[in-house]
Amino acid sequence: MIVIENLYKTYNEERADAYPALKGINLQIEKGSTVILSGVSGSGKSTLLSLIGGLDKPSSGKIMVEERLISKLPDLHASAYRSQTVGMVFQHFNLIESLSVEENIIAALIPLRLPLNKMQKMTQESMELANISHKASQQVNALSGGEKQRCAIARALVNRPNIILCDEPTANLDKANTLKFIEILKTLRQLGKTIVIATHDPIFQALDFIDQTYFIENGSIRSE
Amino acid sequence: MNEILFNNQVIVYLLSEALLYALLLIAFVFTLTLLKSWNFSHFTQAQFRLENRSYLVMSIVLFTLMLKMLLLPYFVYTIDSLSDLVPGAMCAAGVIKANGYGTMLLTLKIVLLFLSGLWMGINQLDMKTTTYRYLRAKSWFFFFLFVGLSVEMAWDILYFTQIQTTAPVQCCSVIFGQVGGANGLPFGLDTFKLMVLFYLLFALLFLSVLTYNALLSVLVAPLFLFIAYYAVVYVFGTYIYELPTHKCPFCMLQDHYHYVGYLVWGFLLFGLFFVLKGAMFSYVFKEKSEHLNRVALGLLSIFVLLCSAYVLIYYLKNGVLL
Repeated sequence: MIVIENLYKTYNEERADAYPALKGINLQIEKGSTVILSGVSGSGKSTLLSLIGGLDKPSSGKIMVEERLISKLPDLHASAYRSQTVGMVFQHFNLIESLSVEENIIAALIPLRLPLNKMQKMTQESMELANISHKASQQVNALSGGEKQRCAIARALVNRPNIILCDEPTANLDKANTLKFIEILKTLRQLGKTIVIATHDPIFQALDFIDQTYFIENGSIRSE
Repeated sequence: MNEILFNNQVIVYLLSEALLYALLLIAFVFTLTLLKSWNFSHFTQAQFRLENRSYLVMSIVLFTLMLKMLLLPYFVYTIDSLSDLVPGAMCAAGVIKANGYGTMLLTLKIVLLFLSGLWMGINQLDMKTTTYRYLRAKSWFFFFLFVGLSVEMAWDILYFTQIQTTAPVQCCSVIFGQVGGANGLPFGLDTFKLMVLFYLLFALLFLSVLTYNALLSVLVAPLFLFIAYYAVVYVFGTYIYELPTHKCPFCMLQDHYHYVGYLVWGFLLFGLFFVLKGAMFSYVFKEKSEHLNRVALGLLSIFVLLCSAYVLIYYLKNGVLL
């Protein structure tokens, strides 16, 4: 379960160009649910996602993930939290272009210091789940947009996280690949993962397996 | 101006010290804010700011203290190099006695080295927690450590600016030799009793570390340091120099003796440091560290074996003891 209380995030604090990205966010996301954070560009949804993922720290407020206080985690522990609990899928995939699909995925396991054979097994499983195992040895810069997205999903899943955070996951995909991505989401939901998707793609509004949609406007949230 | 201050090593040393002190001063100012305003149970903007900055500032303190540890052997090397400029000095032993600040400064540096290491230990423990459990403890520790570091900085300047290159100093053989037949050893000990005490204290320290007896370790460690100092200078040193009248803690740091002094003093000081660190973890923070104890025992054992080997090798080669 993710619990967020009175969350504020201001960029460039204590400077003249300080920008309040989030203003007093309160929300709860049940374990195993699929939630959409919707809003226009610059509304604060990506900021909220990065705070839940422990990529950044809030200016004030509380974020609890599975009863752990994430908003106050020291940097070293935030890294451990990210590598063990969270999987992230980014709009621009954030893959290492010069590496193969398999290498990109296994790289995410290096901080966990697991034996190589276990890392290879986990990589294989996540590639199969994301339907990209047939491209395992292919270099990333030779993949299509949809394949890159599936590679990014496999990487997000490889550490077997309970929470999947997706930031504009379909922004660079055509309709066919978007539908494939949605199919993968359904599978993940069946596996009991908690999924949070920040998007302004209207296709997500019509999906029947979405539990909750939160609309974000100017850093504030309203439930619909 | 005093020509000592134009010596390359002195310039590098004082500039490095000043730079590191400036960094520590910035950290100290932040630490004052931290001690005044820290409250982990608050979720306010001010508290979050403190938490974010504390990691940066404590990292600065950590790396600065690590660099200062490296500066201690460089300090010894620097004063050793000044023996060419100070009349009567044959090595660092003469230069350290060139004015009233030298010996105090060296002692303070060794004490601060130990304290810095202990601060690093608390910092390491704090980093393992998700709630900054030891942040206040390490901040108070740094507060007092900084006072000591400020005194050290002042003494550094006073020491180097007041070394006279015109007045002769006493050389090490006079300082540490048995002048006029007087016994230089403490408590009226002779060489044999000193050796017995040395090995007995080592055995006691070894056992106290092995059995996690923190209180006994803390009591025995300074005593062992004291006796080990005399044992090295008055007994083992003479085998390193292969000269019964040469009783100096510094000459063994020179290239004539293959810089073995850095190993001898290094193993002793670091070994005792890890003993105290392990004892502090165990006694104050209730965290027993087998790894720390193993390192401590390893370093001290190497120190004792190294010193003893000089005696043994000399005996095997010459068939007599000095």
